[in-house]
Amino acid sequence: MSRFELSGAPADLDALREALQHPGSGGFCTFEGWVRDSNEGRDVDGLDYEAYDDLARAEGDLIIEEAIARYGVTDARCMHRTGSLQVGDLAVWVGVAAAHRDEAFRACRYIIDEIKHRLPIWKKEHYLDGDTAWVACTHVHREHEHEHDHIHHDRTGPPLAPDYSRQTRLREVGEAGQARLAAARVLVIGAGGLGCPVLSYLAGAGVGALGVVDGDRLDASNLHRQTIYDARDVGELKAELAKRRIAALNPTVAVQTWTEPLHAGNIAEVFAEFDLVVECTDDMRSRYLSNDAAILTGTPLILASVYQYEGQLQVVSAKPGAPCLRCLWPEEPAPGVAGSCVESGVLGPVPGVLGAMQAAEALKILLDLPRQADDLLLLYNLLDHTSQRLPIDAAAGCASHGGCIEVARRAMASAQDRADLSIRFENLVDALSAGFSLVDVRDPDEIAADPLGAPARQTPASQVVDHADEFAGERLLLICSSGRRSDHAARLLREKGTRNVHSLAGGLKALRRAPNLITQGSD
Amino acid sequence: MITVSLQYFAQLREQAGTSGEQWSTAAGSLRELYAEVGARHGFSLPADALKVAVNARFSDWSRPLSDGDTVVFIPPVAGG
Repeated sequence: MSRFELSGAPADLDALREALQHPGSGGFCTFEGWVRDSNEGRDVDGLDYEAYDDLARAEGDLIIEEAIARYGVTDARCMHRTGSLQVGDLAVWVGVAAAHRDEAFRACRYIIDEIKHRLPIWKKEHYLDGDTAWVACTHVHREHEHEHDHIHHDRTGPPLAPDYSRQTRLREVGEAGQARLAAARVLVIGAGGLGCPVLSYLAGAGVGALGVVDGDRLDASNLHRQTIYDARDVGELKAELAKRRIAALNPTVAVQTWTEPLHAGNIAEVFAEFDLVVECTDDMRSRYLSNDAAILTGTPLILASVYQYEGQLQVVSAKPGAPCLRCLWPEEPAPGVAGSCVESGVLGPVPGVLGAMQAAEALKILLDLPRQADDLLLLYNLLDHTSQRLPIDAAAGCASHGGCIEVARRAMASAQDRADLSIRFENLVDALSAGFSLVDVRDPDEIAADPLGAPARQTPASQVVDHADEFAGERLLLICSSGRRSDHAARLLREKGTRNVHSLAGGLKALRRAPNLITQGSD
Repeated sequence: MITVSLQYFAQLREQAGTSGEQWSTAAGSLRELYAEVGARHGFSLPADALKVAVNARFSDWSRPLSDGDTVVFIPPVAGG
């Protein structure tokens, strides 16, 4: 499909604009060039455009592709007139649609500047005094060459094609290795402190397709360790920002994004689309879910995690008989047992180091480079540079519980069973109108201090099971402050045979994080 | 009494206030050793939530100790 059009007659601007409408676009920017009544002091009556047709079309398409890759915009179109034009006629039209206005403006500017500079189009101006002259359309100021503060790219003309010579020079890589990378598909779960170096190195290395999973928006507290983002990106979805960053770094990489965490219902299907998965979240549940999905789909998984000044690294090869995460720690630790960056703090370069190691492991696997023969847990402490290289004995892990595959199958089944247990609501009125009876399972003193503000039965979590009979036949939504007690109580009720019971995901805190969500009688 | 070399990671390092120390003990197994050390430093994690390695090999909690062993307690960590 051609995005650039040379037209001998006035174009249908509505059609051009419509072609750019896309639900993911929040900004649309157009530039129109008109025939002016004067040029360099002479009164102009009209002009003729002549183009070297084939070359102009090819170059026009190339310029638009460059702009899309360079600025990560959704789409762009350009129409350039040929033939005779009068003063006031439209000579050139550029339209760009993007998620945000900034890229739209910049891509639009890029396209018009490059069109004026590079297209083999000449204009013959007709002056009021009857004279005519051919005017060269070159030597324009190209604004994007003067952008110092944003995306740094080469300063002259189109972006260079990726040059992989520094890695293909490695005997073990070579052109054959480069071709393997180009054909590889890697999923990166979490675009945070670990994910940033992983995405940068894999995109830079020319991995053909990258999947990015992250449901979070960039927070200012991320910037000390999440090095691909800018301060002005705060509040944006990290998966989308990462996609743009990858497009700027290596436009040849195809990027697919997920802006919701993967769950038991879709994770195996998603893993099956990739050759390799890199787990970079700060979430234990995600780590265990990824482990189980990797084992069940036979997809290699590279796990890392960090704590303050140290980190852990484990490669789950997912080969028969090889150990997995559950061979070390069989069950997901209770919430709060495993420290997080939020609670415990982390020095910025620590996830940088561990993420770079994950990227190295990924490339080793994709390129089939020489690697350690044994399955390891690696521990690194960046304060004193101690490290532990601990071989994992597969026979001492899941093997005694039926093997990794059987353990993963059971864990996945129970995660799927729990999947519909907790339900997210924006406010309690929605829950009531969906037909739920509310049960506030907090303790009486908590309720007194922070009333629910909606009609609800009050039964403390510890007593819910004793009241199971009273709940029969109702569609229940259990509510506590964080969602933990209500989850637990709902699970117990289900075990007792009360099927139609759910828990408010995230509890009251999740409602109150967003404004105006608790309505009547709110405190 | 024997002396072993202890190394701590993550939360345990933080709670112990050091990344390692020499420890004299009469504990008969790793599990007893962890209970002893944990009581001194106020470790919040139960042994079952941890992995333990002796002389750079993962080990069973029932393993007896030898003089000069290097013992590492490893909790799972979640940060990313």
